[in-house]
Order: sequence, then C-alpha cells, then structure tokens
Amino acid sequence: MSTAVVANEQSAAKSNWLSDLLVRLEKYADRLNPILVKETRQALKSRQFVVTFLVVLVACWTASFAVVAIVGPDVYYVASGPRMLYVYAIILAFPLILIIPFSAFRSLAAEQEENTYELLSITTLTAGQIITGKLGSAAVQMMVYLCAVTPCIAFTYLLRGVDLPTIFFMLLYFVFQSMGLSMLGLLAGTSAKVKHTQALISLLLVLCLALVLLGTISLIEDFVDRNFVDVMSPMFWLANLAALSFYVAIFALLHAAATAQVSFPSENRSTTLRIRMLLLQACFIGWMSAIPLSLTGPQDYMQTILFIAAGSMMFWFVMGWLLTSEWPHLSRRMLRTLPASTVGRISLTWLNPGPNTGFVFAIGSLTAVLGALLVLTFLLPPSSLLAWPGQQALAYFLVLSWCYAVFFLGLGKLLVAAVRTVTYVQLSAGFLLHLVLFLIACGIPQVIYLMTPSLRSSEQFSFLQITNPVWVLFSVIQSWPIEEANILLLIVGGAALLMLLLNLRTIALDVSYRPRMLPTRVLEDEAELHPAPQHQPTNPWETTASEPGERPV
Amino acid sequence: MIHARRPLIELRNLHRYFGKTRAVQDISFEVYPGEVFGYIGPNGAGKTTSMRILATLDEPTYGDAFVDGFSVVDDPDRVRRRLGFMPDNFGTYENVSVIEYLDFFARAYGLIGKERRVAIDSVMEFTLLNTMAEKPINGLSKGMKQRLCLGRTLIHNPSVLILDEPAAGLDPRARIELRDMIEQLARMDKAVLISSHILTELAEICDKVAIIEQGQLLATGSVDEISARFEAASRVRMRVLGDQAPFLAWLNAHDDTSEVFVDGDVIVCTHGGGQDKQATLLREAIEAGFPLHEFSSKTRSLEDVFLHVTEGRVQ
Repeated sequence: MSTAVVANEQSAAKSNWLSDLLVRLEKYADRLNPILVKETRQALKSRQFVVTFLVVLVACWTASFAVVAIVGPDVYYVASGPRMLYVYAIILAFPLILIIPFSAFRSLAAEQEENTYELLSITTLTAGQIITGKLGSAAVQMMVYLCAVTPCIAFTYLLRGVDLPTIFFMLLYFVFQSMGLSMLGLLAGTSAKVKHTQALISLLLVLCLALVLLGTISLIEDFVDRNFVDVMSPMFWLANLAALSFYVAIFALLHAAATAQVSFPSENRSTTLRIRMLLLQACFIGWMSAIPLSLTGPQDYMQTILFIAAGSMMFWFVMGWLLTSEWPHLSRRMLRTLPASTVGRISLTWLNPGPNTGFVFAIGSLTAVLGALLVLTFLLPPSSLLAWPGQQALAYFLVLSWCYAVFFLGLGKLLVAAVRTVTYVQLSAGFLLHLVLFLIACGIPQVIYLMTPSLRSSEQFSFLQITNPVWVLFSVIQSWPIEEANILLLIVGGAALLMLLLNLRTIALDVSYRPRMLPTRVLEDEAELHPAPQHQPTNPWETTASEPGERPV
Repeated sequence: MIHARRPLIELRNLHRYFGKTRAVQDISFEVYPGEVFGYIGPNGAGKTTSMRILATLDEPTYGDAFVDGFSVVDDPDRVRRRLGFMPDNFGTYENVSVIEYLDFFARAYGLIGKERRVAIDSVMEFTLLNTMAEKPINGLSKGMKQRLCLGRTLIHNPSVLILDEPAAGLDPRARIELRDMIEQLARMDKAVLISSHILTELAEICDKVAIIEQGQLLATGSVDEISARFEAASRVRMRVLGDQAPFLAWLNAHDDTSEVFVDGDVIVCTHGGGQDKQATLLREAIEAGFPLHEFSSKTRSLEDVFLHVTEGRVQ
C-alpha cells in the first residue's frame, strides 16, 4: 500500500472522527436550554461584556507587572503569593459579585422593558426554563471571567506562600457567591414589572451588591493571610457541608420564588415553594441540632433549643405572611390536580395554593418544630440551676411563641380577606398588611411604655405590652420567673384559640374541594401525544391483540 | 390535529375588567380553519385585550376563550403549541441576527435538529428574509421587522394565527405582500384573526369580520351580511327605456321606496329593505311592464359598514 493511500485513509478516519464528534456535539447543543443559547450569544457580543472583560484582563496584567516590579529581586526568597492572590481576588470579585448578578437582573428586567418577555412567555418554554436559562448564561459569563484570571492565580502559587486548597476554595466560594447573587438578581428582575419599581429595585440591588463586594474584599485578606482553609480539620468540612446545604436550600427557594413570579396566573405557583420551605426548615433544624454534639455542657442544649425556636418562629412568621396573602381562588387547572381520596385531601390539601391552606401549612410546620422542641426541653437532662435559659422559661417561651404566631397569622389572614371584599389585594399588598398589623401591635404599646416614666423605670412585667410578642417573649426569657405567666398564657392562648376558631370554617371549605375531571379535548390530546403502548407478546404462544379474532393470552 | 368542524378560535362570553374599566364585555365568536377573520374597532375598543387573552398573555375576568378546543385559562401550554401571536408592539433583541432570532424561537418551541433547520429555512423563504439571514435585527427596516415577526409567529407551524395590527407602519408595497402572505396562510387551512385600522385591506382578505366598540361586540359575519343586517335604507339606481314619468309615479306609489328623483337619465330612490326586497322590487317593476335595463344598489364598503355600525362614535 502506498504512503499516499495510507495518508488519505488516516485523514479520512480523522475527519470521520471529527465529523462524528461535531454531529454528537450538535445533538447535545440541540438539547441545551434555548434561553442559555440566546443569552450567551447576546452577552458575549455585548459591549458591556467586552469592556468588562478587557478591564479585568488589563487590570490583571497591570497588577502582575506592578507587583513583580515592586517585589523585584526579592521574588526569589520572599513569599509574595498571598499579596498577589489578594490583588487578583479583588479584580475577580468586581465582575463576579457586581457585574454578573446585575447583568442577570437587567437581562430579565430588559425583557419586560422592551416588550420581548411577552413573546418569550407565549412559547412552550416553562417559567422554570426561563429562569434556569438566564442563570446558565450568568454561569457561562462567570466561567469566561474565571478562565481569564486563572493563569494569573496560578502564577500566585508559583510565587509561594499560598497553597492549592486556599486557591481552590477561594474560587469555589466566589462561584457560589456569584451564582447566589445572580439568583437574587433574577428574583429582583421578576419583581421589576413597572418602570418606576424597576428603577427603585435597580438602585437597591446595586447598593446591596456594592455592600457585598466591600464585605467580600474585606474578608479576602483574612481568608488569604490567616490560612482559613484547613483541610485536615473535620470542623472545616462540617462547616462547609452545613453552609452548602443552607446554600442549596435557599437557592432552591429563591429559584422557586422567581419561577412563581413569571408563571402564568392559573398555574400552581405555591406547592413547590411550600416544599422548598420545608426543605430549608429541615436543613435549619438538622444543623442546629448538630451543634450541641460538638459542644460540651448540658446548658448548651437549652440555648440551641431557644435558637432553633426563635429562628423557626421568625421564618414561619414571614413565610406565613406570604402564604396567607395568596389569592384565595383555585383556578380550574389547579382544581384538576387536587387529591381525590379523603386521606389525600386531609394530608395534601395544605400544599395547595391559597390563604387558608397557607395558614394551616405555616402553623402546622411551626407546631411540628415547637412541639418537638418542647418535648426535648423536658426530655434532656436538667442543666445546672444557674443555666440560662431555664427549662420552665423555655417551655413558656415555646408555647407563647406558637400562640402569637397563630394569633397574628390568623388575624392578618382575616384582615386581608376583609380588604379583598372591597378591592383587589395583591400578594405583596397582603404581605404589607400583615407587616403593618405586626408593627402596630408592637409599636403602639412600646411608644406608650417609653413615654410613661413610671413604666419605663419599672423592671416588672407589664400587660400593656401583651400585643407585643417581641417584648413579651424577650421578658419571658430574660426576667423569669414572671408572676403573671399563667394569666399571660391564658390570655394569649385564648386569643390564638379564638383565631383558630374564626378561621376554621374557611379552612374546612378548602379541604372539601373535589378534583375536576379533565376536559375531553385534553384527554384526546394526551392520547395523541402519548399513545398507549401496543401489547407485545411475552412468550411464543401469546399473540398480539391486533390479529383479528385472537385475544392475548 | 385539526378537526374539520371544530372552530379553531372560540370566544365564549369573554369579559375583562381593569378595575372599573370594562375593556371587554361579553364577546363571543368563532373562527374556523381556513378563515380570515377581521377584528375591527376604534382605538381602545378592546381588540388588543381580547387578542392578548387568546394569546395567553392575560386572563379573562369572566368567560373563556378556546384555541383548537383548549381553554386559554386552563391549558395555556397546549394553546401555545397551536398558536402564533404577532403583537402590534413587539420588541427585538440587541446583538442578535435574523437567523439567530428565528433559531432561538424555533428552539423555544421545542424544534430540534433537522426539524428546526427546515422550519427556519421555510419561514425565511416565506417571508423573503433569505438574503438578510446574518443581518442584525436592529439594522432592519420597519417592514423587514414586521416580516421577521411574522416569521417568528409561523416558526412552529401553528394552526391559529393572531395578528394585531400587522400592517401598521408599512408602505403600500409591504402591505400588499403581507396581504398575499395572509391569503396563502388561510389557504393552508390556518385560522387567522387579524385586527387592522386599514379597513379596505381587511375587506379584501377577510371572510368574516367582527365589529367591536367600547368592549362590546356590535356585529359579526361577512361584510355583506352585516351590511344587510344593519342597512335600514339603501340607494337604488335604475334606468328605463323610453318615458321615465310612469315609472317615477309607480316608484313614488311603492311602499318600500322614497326620495325618488331623476339624476340625468338615471332614476335614484331610497329603498327601505335588504337584498330580498330589492329583488322583489325588480320583479314587480318588470311584471308591471317597465322596460328596465339597469338596476343596481350601491354596495357598502367595510368602511361604510363600520361607520354605520359604530354610529359614528369613533374616537
């Protein structure tokens, strides 16, 4: 065989291999999120990206030359890696913390502003795909910036004084921070539907991002100098695992919230959010419960219980405000997906959208947490007499917290429903109503208290503050024993019970909803899209049903 | 799958209120495959609102709208697969070329691989955008942008097209081309709902029209049907051979005619009936022995019908 023939065959094999690869890549590219493809094309061609990229590149080069020039011959015996890493980290922080999250916000806000979002929303893309695509584009831009700065960062390793785990974890934290802030930017973008709110949200977001940037820059120095990354310590890995689980849970919640914001009104926008709230709650309780394992002394258990209870109460208060402000009517589409059985209705109704189910969901979740903590309070070995908080004080704190939550969420829900009989109340307006109610309940007695010298100077418990849960709960923990504790419990407990009774009728109505049948046209379409598989014979004696006069065995 | 007897567009007692403003009130009509349905009305009549509801961009306060039998409220995702919407005011993306724009929307409608490439090629050919594939959208003229938007609307081969003021701002040539495209689409058995202010053009391409004012549907049907329904009186021109006086006297004595006068050699009268009664008048005149050799009634244009139906309340 001649040399030319062999060369031809080799080049043919090579081109075959290449074309196969290209075909395969094209197939994969076809499956990519369309928004990711479009946004990446747009972003990489945009003037803003080109300018930022050049600025980052030029800044890195300039910093490299400047530091090498300053260090001079010392470079051979002085570890100048940390100083260089610090400079490069600041340069990298600028696009990753400020530019990319703001671009993510703008990409969604601009769609609303330039009337392109409507065209997007009538395609077959889901709201989740739109948000994920935009997030993917932010990730691609981030990777481009990282690729530009990585050679410089590798250079710092050669300058000594910085180990690879420090570099790796610093970049990893940057990636997580940038993605988290981009998610926040996208959530802000979904809320910016009108021009004037868009301007306000832009301003707030820029301020928030600038603060995060400054905070990050101030932390980088400590991170590099104090050898923060200790891969040999189990605590380091545990802390990172805890942070990662919180990050994932919060990220998932923000993603669900952003998706819900851009979903079609008749879609179920609440169930996913509720499940992710539970995930975050589970994450919080899990890690808080793990803290005592790493500490010594029984008094730590009580403080952990107090911390979990306070955290859970705040979380479910805010989530409850949102959930009880949801639109009260289920769309026909949502009615199709309701559970049919009695057991299903009783156990799963609370995941359906609506203020009544939201009220029960928030209170139910809080009851589960506080109930478990109450049991733990009495089961755990008693601490020393001087331990803070005491067992009894903690028990009162847990029960009163629950009563206040039921009272305020129940009253707020009734208030929103009353206003809805007069005018249309959006979810955000409902949330504000709850907030105003809470502020009035806390603020008015506090103002009277502060303006009355006799009360102000007294250290005794005052019933004037009974509507102020912050003051009452703080007093219970700080000034225990309180003589009026039982009367307080009776009043607050009675008010909570009253609220439960007042809301009971509407809650019962929600449980009684029955699922709707699917329309015939939808069934036809389903049959067309997903035809039932033809029966295949499973043994040699079996025949197919399609053969006339024969039936499958 | 298109079912022959099922309307592709159906509005059932559609209402849309914005606070106290009643943008759309109790609108119902149907559009069948292969029909071009004109939606006309003055500014602020509720055309765009009802079209947006059909396009799943808004929800009705009461009532429902259906596309190929699917409710726009309950099954917007199924509706979107079958519907192409061209809004009157659409935005374009920066730093995107014509082919990238169409490619993005083809992907967004779930077209992959060869199917996507074929769809883009055929849409570019249909809208005559082949020569501009690599041009950035921002550099396109208004007419070209309209074509591109129509191309985007057609990229997933929808069975229903909703075109809101597609001819606005186009030069006469572009309008003629657009009209031809719409006629071609109707021949492909698509249901086309089109709104426009240029009534003469709508009259040429529409099989049926709906006239809407202040959110209420005033009339639906073909232009002739509506014209006949609302016509209280029409002008009839007649020419007789020989002496006109006996015929003038006969017309003056006839119950359905009034304001009879002579305009040159033509007799003009106002006839208080529809096409059926005009035919009766003609038969009676011939039976009475008058040598009629011309009988015509003035056909109302869509503009006349629109002005008549809306009673001149156009803002």
